[in-house]
Amino acid sequence: MTQLDSPPRSPTGGAAPLERRTVPLGRRLRRASMPWLLLAPALLVLAVLLLWPMLRVLNLSLQDFELRNLLRGESNYIGLDNYVQVLTDPFLWKTVLPNTVGFALVCVVLTMIVGTVVAVFLNSLGTAWRSISTTAIMVAWAVPALTGTYIFVWLFDPQSGLVISTLDGLGVMEPGSFNWFTNRWTFYAIATINVVYHGFPFIAVTMLAGLMTVPKELYEAAAMDGATAWSRFWNVTVPALRPIIAVCVILSTIWDFKVFVQIYLMPGGDGSTREVMNLGVWSYTQSFAQGEYGMGSTIAVLLTALLLVISVIYLRVLMKEDEL
Amino acid sequence: MNPRTRAGTAGRAIGVVVLISLSLFPCYWMISTAVDPSPLSRGASLLPSGFTLDHFRHVLVDAGFLRYVRISVIVSVGTVVLSAIVALLAAVAVARFRFRLRTQVLVMVLMVQMVPLEALVIPLFLQARNLSMLNSLLGLVIVYLSFSLPFAIWNLRGFVAAVPKELEEAAYMDGATWLRMFRSVLLPLVAPGLVATSVFSFITAWNEFIFALTFMQDSSKYTVGVGLRTFFTQNSADWGSVMAASTVITLPVVIFFVLVQRNLASGLTAGAVKG
Amino acid sequence: MIARRKVLAAGAAGSAALALAACSGDSGGGDGGVVDGSGKTITMWLMEGTNASADTYIEELKAAFTEATGATLDVQVQPWDGAHDKFVTAMAGGTGPDVAEVGTTWVPEFADAGGLDDLTEDIDAAGLAEGMVEGLVEAGTLDGVMYGMPWYAGVRSILGNKDLLDEAGVTTQPESWDDLLTMITTLKEHNPDWIPFPIPGASIFAATPFIWGAGGEIASDDGGSWSAAINAPEAVEGLSWYTDLALKHGSSTAAANTWVETDVLAEFLQEKVPMFITGSWVPATIAQDNPELAEKLVAFTIPAKDSAVAPSFLGGSLMCRFLETEEPELSFELIKLVTTGDFATRWAEETNYFPGTTEAMEEIVEAGDELTKVFATQMLEGGKSVPVTPAWGKIEGAKTMNTLVSSVLGGADVQEAADTAAAEMDEIFGG
Repeated sequence: MTQLDSPPRSPTGGAAPLERRTVPLGRRLRRASMPWLLLAPALLVLAVLLLWPMLRVLNLSLQDFELRNLLRGESNYIGLDNYVQVLTDPFLWKTVLPNTVGFALVCVVLTMIVGTVVAVFLNSLGTAWRSISTTAIMVAWAVPALTGTYIFVWLFDPQSGLVISTLDGLGVMEPGSFNWFTNRWTFYAIATINVVYHGFPFIAVTMLAGLMTVPKELYEAAAMDGATAWSRFWNVTVPALRPIIAVCVILSTIWDFKVFVQIYLMPGGDGSTREVMNLGVWSYTQSFAQGEYGMGSTIAVLLTALLLVISVIYLRVLMKEDEL
Repeated sequence: MNPRTRAGTAGRAIGVVVLISLSLFPCYWMISTAVDPSPLSRGASLLPSGFTLDHFRHVLVDAGFLRYVRISVIVSVGTVVLSAIVALLAAVAVARFRFRLRTQVLVMVLMVQMVPLEALVIPLFLQARNLSMLNSLLGLVIVYLSFSLPFAIWNLRGFVAAVPKELEEAAYMDGATWLRMFRSVLLPLVAPGLVATSVFSFITAWNEFIFALTFMQDSSKYTVGVGLRTFFTQNSADWGSVMAASTVITLPVVIFFVLVQRNLASGLTAGAVKG
Repeated sequence: MIARRKVLAAGAAGSAALALAACSGDSGGGDGGVVDGSGKTITMWLMEGTNASADTYIEELKAAFTEATGATLDVQVQPWDGAHDKFVTAMAGGTGPDVAEVGTTWVPEFADAGGLDDLTEDIDAAGLAEGMVEGLVEAGTLDGVMYGMPWYAGVRSILGNKDLLDEAGVTTQPESWDDLLTMITTLKEHNPDWIPFPIPGASIFAATPFIWGAGGEIASDDGGSWSAAINAPEAVEGLSWYTDLALKHGSSTAAANTWVETDVLAEFLQEKVPMFITGSWVPATIAQDNPELAEKLVAFTIPAKDSAVAPSFLGGSLMCRFLETEEPELSFELIKLVTTGDFATRWAEETNYFPGTTEAMEEIVEAGDELTKVFATQMLEGGKSVPVTPAWGKIEGAKTMNTLVSSVLGGADVQEAADTAAAEMDEIFGG
């Protein structure tokens, strides 16, 4: 089947066509090495730019590495001191961790609910309206996190934003009477709206594509058995879409735990309002505002460990190996 | 038509209106603020108080926003081209070959997406410093390549797997080499997937912020994201101009998305479900 | 306005004369004159917003530098917001400029980290060591070594809109906190739509005059080892009084809790704010953005608890050379060009900052118009610096003081918030 290939340079090469049962060693090696050749560039990039830096971050997290160490090229190992300091800091347990985990949980749940509802709704529409609506939610998806954040900051501007102006018009609140961005709850409420708005289209579009592959007969059969719409959803749709739901949940969990820009760019989000800090921002400001690269790395390692644990649990619970 | 279906139709119509208006509203608000001569006193009025292109002129001409756009275009296109090539090769490997450690490679590809970028900023920054890659567009492209790769491989894998093996074998029968087969059979068939993947890589690079902020200290090499932030800190109360600048950044992405949405949706499913 | 410009020009000319004398002394020394830099490029960072007409200044500076040395000058303008992080990152990455304008409070930190170059010898050799403004020299000196060449200084006072103040009938210099409070309540009663005296949560130097004005300190120096004093009774009293203006007397708006100074300025330009705390350099910016408003400006010194002049932060900038520069001599030529002679004069003239020499300062006070006089009084009688220690830059980087002010504005208990801030400062001082 590979006639134009140059013949393998093995002594048995010439005899190969006759001996159909044993594939020559050279060719076997070529077949075995082919995938690795194709994978090589990708693996190289991932190793150099993702895995090696992870090791480096681990190494840095064991040091008291400050700007002056960096400039003078000295290392300064202090064992697990950074970890002890971070893990015994009430700021981590009372503020940063709840902010990170709570926010991510709420965002994942809301994004999944909104996305699924929209997908089911879209699936019930005719082709024309479905594609118009899909285009509209694509726009929501396409708005970059960066500009999306500024739009929401502007909508919620305490002095002249749309929200306060509307509330003012209703006689509920005076402009300038309350600053949404200095309160932990309202700050994260705005961030949640921002993240869910940006995240639900992916879920909706992916789930819709899945829904459209579910055979109509299954629903008809269920309907014949007298199942309600709700139980049809749970007994037919959900099992059929299990792999897709799993991927959606995993991806949005990963994305929502890593939210950085949406927080960092909000007023007070870059570290000036302590109450609203999350792990990502904390790590970044420790390193690049304070020059404490060691401490920043420690926090980064904790964030990564948290994500890995969650991902492994997900993979175990939601996916079977053969689905990969 | 019985009342029940009529109610259903009405409900769906309302649903469509609500969905579309909520989805488009932030974008509408951005653009309408950008053309409003006095956005600060607009209040809760849905329509802008007038029409002006002053904010856009201010952003593009006075603030020189076009040069940020140029930098971002260079970086994004570079990322797209490189990641398409590298990811396609890797996708063929995992979709077409059964080899030892294949599952492990796939799990790794999935897992590396979980690594938070903030964790990598510090070591990559130090690495780039040692290699004199700070302030360099190439350095940024390489970093973005590594971020867009996992998703691109994952995504393309489904497309490659969906190409019937028989087509490949037919090509070999006609005497084609692997490379030839790749070019004339596989490539055309996975092209839609490549488009979808490229859109993703483009957006990854176009929207990225932390690395651009940390790596690019030279203001002539700011990407749109860093440019927008700088612009925002300088004109924090000037919402008309900030929204005009946001529009300049958002529109290309939105247009891009809408144009390829069909490919994108099928690409995602193909990537998400086994092809 | 015209009168003030003339005065400043005269004052600045004085400093120019001094500087020129210094320069000629230098070239008389016969060290071969100016460095030849043809084919080379020097990068300089300037902070944004200091000079409203910076563009023309920069163009002419570039031309002059190229003429003098043959080298090309690349000037990059950086916004103050986020500048500290940017400097830290640039030093860490070795991607910093050759020369940069560095705010006084950051010089010790950057010098200590090893990012800035020792200028002592160069300054001595150029004969520039005498007659510089004391506060700036102090800020630029760490362990007896000068890390920056004084460029300009400024101070914050209260700037008002005469029309609005006249309308409400409050026009006299407040002699104490009580007077200031009376002014504010009168303004508030006169027109509830105004923001009588905004309390910007992200601007700490609007708050420090009240901490100092009550006899408090941010931190105290005990023979070289610093400890936080921000939670001592006097400091807390000042802080409570200042934040109560917003919380109890309606002088501000909740939106201001995250405002920086430019946000307040934006509101002032809309003529919704009758008075606010701002720097001596701001009138020039207002003149550019809203010339009509610039005609009706009036200034008051920030009062202390029982007197008319509270200590106010003496800020400013020094010109520093980065350690990583490959062209130290050429860089120093640029520093000289900017901080002495014509360009120094023009900078002072265009920005309403006070030049870096004492003599020129005094001339301004003698001959100045009302605005200049008020600011100069605040500076000469109340000019005060933040703790001169490398740790201070980190405290600024950690936004400890900003967090303190904004959390109190957000409803936190003053003493508790101050204790938290003090603990954080002590940790930084200690480590």
